[in-house]
Amino acid sequence: MLVLRRRAGESLLIGDDIEIEMLELTPQGAKIGIRAPRETIVLRKELKITREQNAQAARGPESGDLGKALPGIFAQQLKNLPSNR
Amino acid sequence: MTLLQTKYFGTMSYEDESVFDFPVGLPAFEEEKRFVFIEIAEHAPLVFLQSLSQASLCFLALPVSSVDPDYRLAVSVEDRAVLELPLEREPRPEDGMLALALVSLHDGFSATANLMAPIVVNVRKRRAVQAIRMDRRYSHQHPVRCLGVAPVCEGAC
Repeated sequence: MLVLRRRAGESLLIGDDIEIEMLELTPQGAKIGIRAPRETIVLRKELKITREQNAQAARGPESGDLGKALPGIFAQQLKNLPSNR
Repeated sequence: MTLLQTKYFGTMSYEDESVFDFPVGLPAFEEEKRFVFIEIAEHAPLVFLQSLSQASLCFLALPVSSVDPDYRLAVSVEDRAVLELPLEREPRPEDGMLALALVSLHDGFSATANLMAPIVVNVRKRRAVQAIRMDRRYSHQHPVRCLGVAPVCEGAC
């Protein structure tokens, strides 16, 4: 990973047409401005993770397998547990 | 009383007041704005979030406190506004707030809960939102140690 130090008001460029500007830096977080072509998707990483995780959660057990799946999962979890709360 | 086709429990009847509105949907399921929450004694504390528009869509969820008893919420001001909860502070249980973590199954024999993006519910207004945390305090794949299914769980948790 390339690590750069930038101050508020300073920018950096990625390729020819993406500019990232540090607008404001506070202990609560950095306010960042992004200039990029319309077709470039800019996404908060946690939103992408949430989308993927939701898609996985939606798969769930097959409709007829709920009774079988849940105790199975549960037994496995207990086996893996070093100590229970 | 209306009839609903569910993924796991066949046809069920529900009252309008058991429907929860997700005004902004869920990431990857933005069009799914209405769910019925189903609780079945033998699967407690699991909650089933059954879509009203798609019978085949039903999320499994656990109260965050059953996954991590020390869980601390962090709900953004935007999400508090969607929930119609007080904007100036974190939601509390006495506001009629409930937080659920969506459960994912892996290879059919292990489960994780998404503590990074809990479903936060205003029970009184019947509104819900998936409140994605900005911090990195909790995992989106937190191992589920104990689903609390009575016969297996007895004496162990």
